[in-house]
Parts: sequence; structure tokens; C-alpha cells
Amino acid sequence: MLKLIQNEWMKLWSKKATWIMAILLIVILLANAGITKWIESTSPAPEIGWQEMEEMNLMSAQDQLQNPDIGSAQQDYYEGQAAIAEYRLANDAEPFKVESLQQQVLDGHMMLSLVTLFTVIVGAGIVASEFSQGTIKMLLTRPVKRWKILTSKYITTMLFALLFAVITFASIALFSWIFFGVGDGAFLVWNGSEVVEGSYWAEALKLSALSLASTWMIGTFAFMLGTVFRSSSLAIGVSIFLMFVGVQLVFLLQRFEIVKYYLFTHTDLTQFYTGFMPIPDITMAMSLIVLTVYFLVFMLISYWTFSKRDVTA
Amino acid sequence: MSNEKIVEIRKLSKTIGKKQIIKNLNLDLHKGEITGFLGPNGAGKTTTIRMMVGLMKPTQGDILIGGKSIRTDFEESIEKVGVIVENPEMYKFMSGYKNLVHFARMHKGVTKARIDEVIQQVGMQNRIKEKVGSYSLGMRQRLGLAQALLNNPKFLILDEPTNGLDPAGIREFRMYLRKVARENDVAIFVSSHLLSEIELLCDRIAIIQNGELIDIKNVNEHQQSRYYIEAKPSEQAKQVLEEIGFTVHPHENGYLIDTEPEHIPGAIKLLTAAGIDLYAVQPHRTTLEDQFLEMTGGGEIAQAHTK
Repeated sequence: MLKLIQNEWMKLWSKKATWIMAILLIVILLANAGITKWIESTSPAPEIGWQEMEEMNLMSAQDQLQNPDIGSAQQDYYEGQAAIAEYRLANDAEPFKVESLQQQVLDGHMMLSLVTLFTVIVGAGIVASEFSQGTIKMLLTRPVKRWKILTSKYITTMLFALLFAVITFASIALFSWIFFGVGDGAFLVWNGSEVVEGSYWAEALKLSALSLASTWMIGTFAFMLGTVFRSSSLAIGVSIFLMFVGVQLVFLLQRFEIVKYYLFTHTDLTQFYTGFMPIPDITMAMSLIVLTVYFLVFMLISYWTFSKRDVTA
Repeated sequence: MSNEKIVEIRKLSKTIGKKQIIKNLNLDLHKGEITGFLGPNGAGKTTTIRMMVGLMKPTQGDILIGGKSIRTDFEESIEKVGVIVENPEMYKFMSGYKNLVHFARMHKGVTKARIDEVIQQVGMQNRIKEKVGSYSLGMRQRLGLAQALLNNPKFLILDEPTNGLDPAGIREFRMYLRKVARENDVAIFVSSHLLSEIELLCDRIAIIQNGELIDIKNVNEHQQSRYYIEAKPSEQAKQVLEEIGFTVHPHENGYLIDTEPEHIPGAIKLLTAAGIDLYAVQPHRTTLEDQFLEMTGGGEIAQAHTK
């Protein structure tokens, strides 16, 4: 199996497109940091200080807590936000500025949708391209069972996603360090009973790992489409379309019970830690179960079609 | 040439939709023997071959390679097989060498030394580091042969291997195959619709039509000695020949008689003595093409084309 993965990895990186994606990713992150820096240096200094901002945060958190519709995860979140804001005001503990290494790293998980995009391209093509190149004939007439070949391709896609996530994280850290440097401030967390100082690196890693669930699901979906339809363009198109429209559908389906079993209600696992929950009454455990079920269905369809298919191309 | 069986095709059938493409096919292939697989377009050659290499699944029946079933012991049975299915499609964005490394990793025990050996064997050492995209068709065909030989196969399957090659390329390819069969005692199974090609290459020919095996014959099997005689007036010539005791078949502008060479001078003397003018007396060999057309009923190729 290791040799098969080695093969897929070699093929992946022998393609120019893969290198272009890697360079594109780094260039986009560099540009993002550069633009943020440029906006900071050209816009006038903010009129309000961080204290006023924290007071506003406190008020909005308290407002949210009055809202009867919020779920328990949101309740915890806003209680924490309110407690942290109060603590900052009482102890004169400044938060990170947006233009600082720390805040950039904390927000880094939002850039992982780029990784999803590239993973979709790779996942959709990794099986489909063998068919379109005609190399599938060479690949399947080896003393290796088909499920092993498919597994090696799936693992390679996921390794690619992981590598790109690491590149993203490292690039954000490096570029924000170069452009903004380490800023003042403290990272505070609410542990349920009191506000304590926490590690922003750990928090950033946690949020990034949770964001990768979405990359994983959409990547797996694209992988399935590529395997079933043997057309990477179709698989890429449908996957990217769903990536954007799928989340919007959550709002449309909001009123119906079915939304709780809908994939895109659950793909963003960071929602349990960032307070933004379109469907408030779901839990992390439920999301993980739903995602696992979808994953198994996608895998089953992929393996079944790939193993049964008569290769006539 | 040993007579050891390496491949046994047993009651092989394939149905796609409602159409039965392959009907109850039985065939054995032996070590060191090159078997041609011949048939009109659409007769089921490619389908049979794809089932033999695991690209398609038989509806019924089985294929045993080295005694292992392709259905139940896929990995073991295909272990000793080398395959070229139509044009060998390689990864164009990688070098020839990387392509070979890629396929070598999928077999057990193919060493770096073996890869180099195969490259030598097909004479590609000079360009093996270049990208496959820059290769000519002939080069790609050679690389295709190289990948098929990596695992020291006991059995080589080639589907239309010379498609798209020029005459020089075909000749070169044929020489490689002969060498491989002779030196490594490999059984080779080649499908083609190029009759002359098959005739030059193969020891034995299996003919398939409408999914059924209609004949298996050895190429160099002793042919009945036949002579073609053209003479005028032809009616009279026929009479004379029949009087001698020959069976006379009309053919083109003259007649065919089945006889050994030693009877020919006598027959000529008798014909000229009867005042008949001889225009031609020559040994007549039926080509594979004639035999093939005779067996498959001639028009089948054209019909298959227009379907």
C-alpha cells in the first residue's frame, strides 16, 4: 500500500498543475497579508479605542443571551464572550489587533476554503484522469486489487489536503510575522467558571483542524463524483457549485426538520466555537455522526463503482 | 517448444445488456508459443482479452493463468502476465523511466537492476529520461513492451499491438516479440485484424467470429500441394486433366488440381500432346487471408464495418 501511495504522490507532483496550485496558494496568502498591511497603513487611525470596542462586544453578547432561540453551544459561547469582555475592561487586558501575528493566525482557518478548492480539483481528477488518459488499463492489469488502488488514491488526496493546510498555516504565520510582527495583547479563554490566559497557537490549530472537516467532506464528495462519472471537469464543477450553494441551502431549509440531516448544516465544525450557528439546536456529536454517515455513503459508492466497473475505454 | 499449458480459458461467456458478446469460449495457450487471435471487427477479440487481464468480468466461465483463477485469485493469476492493451497509454507528464518505476512498484520483486535490464532489452537507454510526451509512437510502443516485460511474465497478452505503427515499426516490434518468446519461453497471445501480420508472427491461430471460436490451426501446418493451370481451350484442358485422374476445380481463368510436384511434368506433356496451349503452371498456396475469408464467410468484415 505504501508503494501505491508513493506512486500516486509521484504522479501528482509530476504534474505542473499541482505545483501551480501550490504556488498560487502561497501567492494568494502573500497578497492577502500585503493588502491587509496596505489598508492598515493608508487608512486613518481608528476613532475608538479597544475599550469602547470591548464595551460594544459585551453589550452585543448580552443581547444575544436574551435571545430565546439560541442553542446551548451558542449560550456557552456568548457567556464566554461577555465574561472575557468584562475581564478585559476590568484588568486592562488589551485584545490582539487584527494586524498582528496572533490574530492572523487565529483567523487562519478561514483561509482553508482555498485548500478545499484545490483538494476538490485533485480529488476529482485523481481517478478520472486515469480514465481520460487511458492509463487505467495499465493500472488495473497489475497484480493489485482494485480496492487497494482506489484506497491509495483516496489517501493521497487526503495527504495533499493536509499538506496544503500545513502550507496555508505556515504561510499565514510567516507572512503576518513579516508584515505585522508579534503584537501586544493577551489571548483569553473562558473555561466555564473563570477567564484565563490561553495559547493562541493551540486555539488556531484547533479551529484549523475543525475547518478541515469541511475540506474532508467536500474532497471526498469530489473524489466520489470523479470515480463514478470518470470526468474530472464534471466532478470539479458540481463540487465547487455545492461548496458555495450547499451552505446557502441551509438557510432555505431552516424551517424543515430535514435540515438536521443535511450535509452542509454540519460541515463547518468551527460553528460550535465561533457562535455563528444557522441551526442552533445541533451538537458536535450529532454533526460528527452525520458527517461519518455521509462519508461512508460516499466511500461505498466510490468503491462499489470502481470495483465493479468493466473498463472499456 | 514445450507443450505446457499456461493459460486455460474455460467456457468463457460475456453478456452486455441483452447481447451475448462471447459465447462459451474454450482455449489453451502453451509456453513458448505465439498464438494469434483473429476475427472480424466486433467479433469479440478485445472483450475476450479484457476479460483475460481483469479489465472486464466474465459473465460465466473462468480463465486460469498458471492454474490460478482470474476471478477468485486475481493477484496471483495476473502476477505473471504482461499486458499491452491497444496503444500503451503512459503518463505523458513523466519520463519513461519514472513510468517504469511506477509500474515496477506494483509488482513484487522487480528490482532497479531489472528495470535497467528491460530498458536495454528494448533499446531505450538513450531516451529513457525524457518525458513520454516527447516520444514517437514507435518509442511509446517500445516503452509499452518494456513495462509488459518488467515482471518477467510467463504470458504476454497484446491487443492490436501494431495499431498505428509504420511498416518499419511493425517489423521491429515483431522481431522483439519473437526474441522474447524464444529467449524467455513466454506464451504470447496477440490479437489483430492484420492477417499478414499474424501470419508472419504466429505459430498458431485462433479465429473468432460472432463471439465463438470457429477454428484453431497451426500456421506452418503442411498444406495440400496444389497447382494452378491456365490453358486454352480450357474445356479441352479440363477434359484431359480429368482423364488423367485429377480432381479439377475452376479457379480464376484456369483450374486448380490437388497433386504432388512429381506428377506435373507428365501432365504438361499430355496437355501439349493434346494440342492445348499452356499459359501458366504454378504451385498454388492459399494465403491466410483466403483461408480466413473462406472461414468467416468473406463479407463479414465489410458487414461489421457498416453496422
